[in-house]
Amino acid sequence: MPPLFGTLDVAPRLHAAPRLDGYDTEAWEIADVDLLSLTLEIDDRTSALPPALHPAIPPVAYFSVASYPDSPIGAFKLAQVRIGCRASALPRGFVLRAYSDSPAACDALGRRWGYDCQPADVRLRRYHDRIVGTVTLDGSEVLRASLADPQPISGASVFHVSTMNLARAEDDGGRGVLVQVDPAYAFHRAERGVPELTTFDRAAWTAEGIDPVWPVIATFVRCDTGFPRIRYVMDAQQAARTGTRKLR
Amino acid sequence: MKFGIFHEISVPRPWDRESERTVYERALEQVRLADELGFDQVWAVEHHFLEEYSHCSSPEIFLTACAAQTKNIRIGHGIVVCVPQMNHPVRIAERAATLDIISGGRLEVGTGRSATWTELGGFCANPDDTKKSWDEIVRCLPKMWTQERFSYEGSAFRMPPRTILPKPYQKPHPPMWVAITSPGTELDGADRGLGWLGLTFGGLEEQEKRMAEYRRRIKVCEPVGDIVNEQVNTVNFLYCHEDDATGVATGQRLQGAFGYAAAQLVSAREAYPTPAYPALGLLPQLRPDGESPGDSVRVPEGLTIGSPDRIIDALKKWEAVGADRVNFLLNALEVVPQEEVLASMRLFAKEVMPKFRERSKAEAATAVAGGE
Repeated sequence: MPPLFGTLDVAPRLHAAPRLDGYDTEAWEIADVDLLSLTLEIDDRTSALPPALHPAIPPVAYFSVASYPDSPIGAFKLAQVRIGCRASALPRGFVLRAYSDSPAACDALGRRWGYDCQPADVRLRRYHDRIVGTVTLDGSEVLRASLADPQPISGASVFHVSTMNLARAEDDGGRGVLVQVDPAYAFHRAERGVPELTTFDRAAWTAEGIDPVWPVIATFVRCDTGFPRIRYVMDAQQAARTGTRKLR
Repeated sequence: MKFGIFHEISVPRPWDRESERTVYERALEQVRLADELGFDQVWAVEHHFLEEYSHCSSPEIFLTACAAQTKNIRIGHGIVVCVPQMNHPVRIAERAATLDIISGGRLEVGTGRSATWTELGGFCANPDDTKKSWDEIVRCLPKMWTQERFSYEGSAFRMPPRTILPKPYQKPHPPMWVAITSPGTELDGADRGLGWLGLTFGGLEEQEKRMAEYRRRIKVCEPVGDIVNEQVNTVNFLYCHEDDATGVATGQRLQGAFGYAAAQLVSAREAYPTPAYPALGLLPQLRPDGESPGDSVRVPEGLTIGSPDRIIDALKKWEAVGADRVNFLLNALEVVPQEEVLASMRLFAKEVMPKFRERSKAEAATAVAGGE
């Protein structure tokens, strides 16, 4: 008997999901990216995940805000809320929603890697005692995520899970595809600290029912990373173990 | 070479009232048969909150039943999690001593610190501290067992002088082991005179190097106890069948189920960045290059699955790289029917075990003839 699977009804999400231009996406390699990430345990196991994925034990969510100082479409910031999960036996984060301060980034990330990304005011600020990421949508703050009391650690200790985006594709038969975005990271610095999630507007993140219940850790890294060529896609409604397609 | 079995008590969904009871009863039946067939040891892990993967949170109780239902097999209590939030060190000493008495001096004590956030986070234990608390506790346990009065001021715990009771039946105390997953832990074990309780499946070449260094280091150790346990105890999957293809296929199903269940857990390093956990627990050895969800769980080299001849060949390789004992996982998520598990054990005892008993006798005879 297999473990638990996601129970998200994918069909309603697909109407608003980005449509991929194709799978032959070129890589964006971006230097000196600042990335704030909070991990919190949540009290929901399966409702936010498509049937292709298993919930992690315990269920967790990742809240991240990143600043990309340069890219083919210029500088941009990107905020994401992801649900920790397993694609078969591999740790992954399923994106509920993303926001960027660059409409060009929203468009490119959606068409190339399947990010459900909307325009918003996204900021990442460093204070003497904390690092704060915020997302403001139509004048209302929908995310405030902070790392308090940063302490330096080795980048070798930091583990970032790869991302899964729900998207539409030409050949998905109307079922939707999960796009695996699995960038490499070369760390220049890393810190960890106490995670503080003071604003989380669930509706803005299509995260109804997701309640962060227990803080785990916050990290902040400066790294070279980016968005790689797509290597794997999977049927959103079939177990990843059998529904994965290798592109390259 | 000695052989044992070990139990995770893996309970697949869907769960009903009988699910856990059934798995426990089957495990006890396996233990009774192992005792009859001449297996040397039975181990039971300690895990908490690990859904489906392991429902063995109170191994000392399961092992007490094992002791009561067997005559000769040694009782492996391990690993006991040496993290104060999970087990106060005094309670570890007390439970172990009681189990040693109940079993008539058949206890082996395995120590460790947990490798998952699922468990450590559940007890609000800081992953940064577990190596330190393990180190303190393994140094205290032998004193608790052998000294009439014990007191302690440390960072993991403190206590005024007390007489910790009962004392173990074995003198000076039961053999102690340390669980080996993270690279370098084998050297920590060697330096403290602890036996190697391997939890890594396969990987003969890497294991050989690590075992050789362990052997070198333990010769100059400062033991934490009154005895040095210089033995290497590894784990493996066991499914033995007359037909090799059937044995391999079923064994791979067992290995795949175990790896799949293990992969759903959140490892300490995945959740919490800390140098105290340089490895991702069981994931790296079982994941297919860490990339494609569509690949099958990787089959490590040296697995003891298949026909008796294939298993003998694998065990000879383990023996050659330095393993003294092998503990077998017999099932995971109940993917192998109980009757097949028992048949596999019987076939192993009939066809495989004698080969290693003969080798031991022959080697002993050679040693005598050579005047050693």
